[in-house]
Amino acid sequence: MIRVDNLSVSYGAVKALRNVSLQASPGLITAVLGANGAGKTTLLRAISGLVTPQSGNILLGEKSLLRMPTENICRLGLAHVPEGRGVIAELTVEDNLRLGALASKVNLAEGLETQYAQFPALADRRKKYCATLSGGERQMLAMARALIAQPKVLLLDEPSLGLAPLVTSELMKLILQLCESENLTVILVEQNAKSALRIAHNAVVLHLGAVVASGDAKTVADDEDLRRYYLGLVE
Amino acid sequence: MSSFLTSAFMHNIFGGLAQGVIYSLVALSLVIIWQSTHVLNFAQGAMAMLATYIGMTQIDRGIGYWWCLVISVVVGMVFGGVTERVLIRPLYGKPEINPIVVMVGFLGVIEAVATAIWTSTTRNIAAPFSQVFFQSHGNLVYLSPFIIFQVILAVVIMLLVAALFRFTKLGLQLRASALAPEVARLLGVRVNRMLTIGWILSAGVGAIAAVILASGSFGLFPTDMDGVFVAGFIAAAVGGLESPIGAIAGGLLIGLAEQFILAYWSPNVAPLGGIIILVVALMIRPQGIFTRTVGRRV
Amino acid sequence: MNWLGSLRKQETTHARFICVLGLTILALVVTIFLPPVADSQLASGAAITIVILGLSWLIGWSGQISLGNSGFMAVGAYAAGIWAHHHATTPLVFTLLLATVAGAFSGLVVGIPSTRLRGPYLAGMTLAFAAAITPLAQNFTSMTGGEGGLFFNTLTTPKWFLHQFGGINAAINANAQWSADLAVVIAGVMFFFMANLFHSRSGRAMRLVRDNDVAAELMGINLPRTRTLAFVVAAAFAGLGGALFTLLNATVTPETFPLTLSITLLTLMVLGGIGTLSGAVIGGIIYSFSPNLVSYVNSLTGVNPSSNLGANMQGIIFGSLLILTMLFAPRGIAGVGLKIKHSLQSRRKLESVENVN
Repeated sequence: MIRVDNLSVSYGAVKALRNVSLQASPGLITAVLGANGAGKTTLLRAISGLVTPQSGNILLGEKSLLRMPTENICRLGLAHVPEGRGVIAELTVEDNLRLGALASKVNLAEGLETQYAQFPALADRRKKYCATLSGGERQMLAMARALIAQPKVLLLDEPSLGLAPLVTSELMKLILQLCESENLTVILVEQNAKSALRIAHNAVVLHLGAVVASGDAKTVADDEDLRRYYLGLVE
Repeated sequence: MSSFLTSAFMHNIFGGLAQGVIYSLVALSLVIIWQSTHVLNFAQGAMAMLATYIGMTQIDRGIGYWWCLVISVVVGMVFGGVTERVLIRPLYGKPEINPIVVMVGFLGVIEAVATAIWTSTTRNIAAPFSQVFFQSHGNLVYLSPFIIFQVILAVVIMLLVAALFRFTKLGLQLRASALAPEVARLLGVRVNRMLTIGWILSAGVGAIAAVILASGSFGLFPTDMDGVFVAGFIAAAVGGLESPIGAIAGGLLIGLAEQFILAYWSPNVAPLGGIIILVVALMIRPQGIFTRTVGRRV
Repeated sequence: MNWLGSLRKQETTHARFICVLGLTILALVVTIFLPPVADSQLASGAAITIVILGLSWLIGWSGQISLGNSGFMAVGAYAAGIWAHHHATTPLVFTLLLATVAGAFSGLVVGIPSTRLRGPYLAGMTLAFAAAITPLAQNFTSMTGGEGGLFFNTLTTPKWFLHQFGGINAAINANAQWSADLAVVIAGVMFFFMANLFHSRSGRAMRLVRDNDVAAELMGINLPRTRTLAFVVAAAFAGLGGALFTLLNATVTPETFPLTLSITLLTLMVLGGIGTLSGAVIGGIIYSFSPNLVSYVNSLTGVNPSSNLGANMQGIIFGSLLILTMLFAPRGIAGVGLKIKHSLQSRRKLESVENVN
């Protein structure tokens, strides 16, 4: 379980997050929604230790992640798929996967086998440089690279960005399925609220760095004001 | 065939390649540092020179050549790691002039200290290989056992470096840290450690180049790596500072060019050869020189 | 509004002129009281100040890193030296002008291909130039005197100046003070020129190119031309400084301009303050009295000055100073001075605000 308490982050004079709190539990998807600049990415970066919060706390189980280096947070079983997927284009598919397995104790050969079975498209391209992959394939690789370390927590930053609607819905289905089968704690940051709410169990809506609503995904999805003002979901 | 081997042309080819592998090693060492930390280490040559002095003068104590070589490389590596931690680490994220200035200052300090300890007189380091040229039907072939040793050693080092980057876990982490430091950190790679290791490796390669240079007819003196550094930099720049293969090829090219200018014109004009090659390379493919400097990190 | 602007501009130029004039006169007065050795040290320092002014302009204002200014100095020095060697009676102004033009030309040659280079590439390229230029002097022996160099004696002290000195060492004293005065006046003129250049249209364009070349290009500034111009100006200053430097020493050899001189120049500029006029003067003064500084450090540490360590103390001190300045006070002495001034000003402002309240 991951818990964020009253987290505040500033970039110089700009407050990116103000007293944000949320809780995500194993086997559940927590969607973090909001417009551009709402602070969604900053929230994930703070959890991973890429930015240092001004105040507040982040707990993974009983352990505080504050001031812990990113490299060590990763070793606690937290996988972060960053915005833009973070696939290293100059490396091959297999090297990217090897990199994902490095910090964990999993057996590399078994891990590769599992991920290739899960994402057969990657198996065909294992020796190819990632610069040659399509957007959807890169997203799969990013997922596989995160999953190969068998994490407990999965942070996903805009996975649907730049994907065709059909691919997006496939991806969302996969996320839900993985979350349930592996008992993963998933925090899903999305601008595409519609797709995210379709699979999320809980949802948090951010606006200008502050939480404006949180709760059951269904409740959030049905709230007319939220839909209109924050989620851009008015037909 | 034998007259071909002893011709002036082949003399220049052999001489150029022998000098070129030294430039290639220096260029390779510069590329390793550039890739990991985006710093061009102006003290690279001087650091290698100092390591060579510390290591190779152990011959005076009766230690064998090979052990001295090992000591030089180890000292060089330690030196590289400490330099990164102490002088370079505080400068990440600062304007790019800052590390350049610091390393230029370091270059001055190292050369002054070395001159203070060992004076500026040239020392000869006797390698366990003859420097006498081979003969073919009474004519000289411009190859000696030492030159063959120096080329083989350089090639072995290059292959080792290539294998390390290509096939090992450490190499993968080094590459990932250089290409995408933030992503690497998210995947648990200890990027700061990789930067230090990059400097350690690079300094080791540099030290080998300096030992080869000192063991040959050039000898060892405090500023002996100045010209080699400049040639190595040009070689690396011709290859784009990003590409190890480009650096090695560039080194051979500069070595050959200098040798031919030296033979057909004058040794004093030879340093200009490198600059001319760089300028021509720039005109042919400026993007090669610019590779990724536009969107650089740090 | 327009006439007001031009008036203000004229006023600042006047103010600058008076400021430089005052400084120069002050330096001239100082030369009267200095012993001959210190006078000749000051003269070399003035020559170096001119070089640093150019370097500061190039690195600080145009943002192009050059390690090749000792090469530009060598070009100017050899141009002046070769001319002075053969035509000893030529007026000094002409010889210096020739050196300046020669320096500027070398700046053009290096500057044009360099417009395609940035940062470390540029620094390496210019270093390669500096490393290649002195061997050239050894190649054209008939012109340059090769290893042994050239000798000349152009800086003759005029009679009216000499007459004011008496005693046994009259000639020595007069010569030292004359060359110091001459160098100070030339440095003053160049300082005034650079001060105006800093604040001119070209100077502003240069800073814009340094800070944001895309914006500069969009505003119609020709980037390659501006960058090359920066090199030409810096090289002209270096050429003049190098020529003055060698004329003062009455000799030029390939050893006059070793690669370490580039390091020394960089140290002095960084120590004084990158991109500041006062920093160049501070650098020049430090250079003038670096022999004293070195012997002071030697005596402080008990090192024998004629020992190996003592002989290399200057390199060790300068290199360490360069590293320490860059790590702990990257804006140099001028920067620290400015910081103190600003903090004093803001405190005064705060106090006055508090008084109002």
